[in-house]
Amino acid sequence: MDATIEVRGLRKRYGPTLAVDALSFTARPGQVTGFVGPNGAGKSTTLRMIMGLDRPDAGSALVGGRPYRSLRTPLCRLGAMLDASAVHPARRARDHLRWLAHAGGLPRRRVEEVIELTGLASAAGRRAGGFSLGMRQRLGIAAALLGDPPALMFDEPVNGLDPEGITWIRGLLRSLAAEGRAVLVSSHLMSELEGGADRLVVIGRGRLIADTSVADLLEAASGGRVELRTAERQEAMTVLARAGATVTAAGPGAVTVAGLPAERIIALLTGEGVAFSGVSEHRASLEEAYMELTRDAVEFRAVAGREAP
Amino acid sequence: MSALHAEWTKLRTLPSTWWLLAALAGITAAAGAAVTGAVDTSACPDPAACREDTAKLALSGVQIGQVAAVVLGVLAVGGEYATGTIAATLAAVPRRGAVLAAKAAVVAAAVAAAGSAGVLASLAAGRGILPGNGFTAANGHPPLSLLDGATARAAAGTVLYLVLVALLSLGAGTAVREPAAAITAVLALLWIVPVLTRLAGDPRWQERLERLAPMTAGLAVQATRDLDRLPIGPWAGMGVLAGYAAAALAAGWILLAARDA
Repeated sequence: MDATIEVRGLRKRYGPTLAVDALSFTARPGQVTGFVGPNGAGKSTTLRMIMGLDRPDAGSALVGGRPYRSLRTPLCRLGAMLDASAVHPARRARDHLRWLAHAGGLPRRRVEEVIELTGLASAAGRRAGGFSLGMRQRLGIAAALLGDPPALMFDEPVNGLDPEGITWIRGLLRSLAAEGRAVLVSSHLMSELEGGADRLVVIGRGRLIADTSVADLLEAASGGRVELRTAERQEAMTVLARAGATVTAAGPGAVTVAGLPAERIIALLTGEGVAFSGVSEHRASLEEAYMELTRDAVEFRAVAGREAP
Repeated sequence: MSALHAEWTKLRTLPSTWWLLAALAGITAAAGAAVTGAVDTSACPDPAACREDTAKLALSGVQIGQVAAVVLGVLAVGGEYATGTIAATLAAVPRRGAVLAAKAAVVAAAVAAAGSAGVLASLAAGRGILPGNGFTAANGHPPLSLLDGATARAAAGTVLYLVLVALLSLGAGTAVREPAAAITAVLALLWIVPVLTRLAGDPRWQERLERLAPMTAGLAVQATRDLDRLPIGPWAGMGVLAGYAAAALAAGWILLAARDA
């Protein structure tokens, strides 16, 4: 069964706001695809269009090559958690899963299996209204897994979770992908996806900013920069700038140098008699790489805004 | 079929469903008994001259009890919008018409069951209360009985009335989505004409309004005597109410199919 989630030229307008514009990307089987963008970037809207809840103004979203609403057993093709708080507070957790299982034509034993899988066994008989956020997330994930689908989507699954819950969800996402499923997971914080995603689809204001592997993105963001630790910051910056490097202060006693290899920096500083305590290759975090990407998008938007007020 | 099973499970697993169904039966019977107990033959010059429609009197509690049917019908779908479960519902069953049809079926069945209980209890209460108030067989008021054709029609028609009111509410809830707004709109539709007719001085206008309004037309089915003096015939009146319910469901269905969830 083809598990690919494919979005092609998606556009959605809500009144004057263009929520999603010309968006294309693919979430492939066996990978965790991180879907990242600031709040209001159009992530949830995109996921809703993939599920056939909202109708796109243009473009298409396909699950295993077919529009979601044409699937005969949708819960067995794509499982999704869009909003963990979307449960009736007066209904017991097990009953919430039961009606979903009935709607999907799934056997009752699947309900017990996903309860076990998500560690909800002791809480399944309680009304969902009394659930903590973490338990609601687990219930939402249990619902997504009901049909044992080859493709899965989670909207902000770690939002508001404690560290233990975050670790659990990361491990779960990884193991679902390792089983060959396509896993699309959205977040407004790149750091939440660090070590969890294979590919990243970054959007801002409804448009695609980057569609890349995590490794490529980190390499590009690190960009051969060197971190230098020195007590004589002013002198070091002058010397290196004269040699043609771009030098930026990175906190007290530290500068980031771009445009010069580490060996050349050491030679220059030693020659000029500037003391330093450390030189290391700069290793960008995912968060930094993301800031770099979205900073470009912000500048682009500012220019575009001036042209068309 | 799976949509029907899912909707039944959804309805069954909410405590509010059982409270509302109990309220529907209980309030219908209790209000009917209270009204029946307050009417006796002393106002008539002679007990035998009383033209009181005792079956209609015993079943009058439905005018209050129907509020529970309105709330149940609206919440069957409005509750899903309020809590956000509508997304999961439409993700599991993308054919939106099937979702609404399944909701209509389970709401109708539940209201029919509770409505029958309320109607039977109302008739039993009437049977016990009426003779003590002078409505005896000797005065031309035989005990209420479902073996009497007109009383049986009034009883069955009252259950059908409740079912149609619930379906009207389901349609309104689907179209409006906001439960409080939908409940207010349906109650206004049901009650506004009875209020207006009291204000309208012209009896011809009063009759016209009573023929067109869902509650007055629908409850014509409760009359068991002086049928020729009704503004609209029992089943024609039920047809008017059915028209309202069908229009509300059609509006709900069209909007549900066309709108973003």
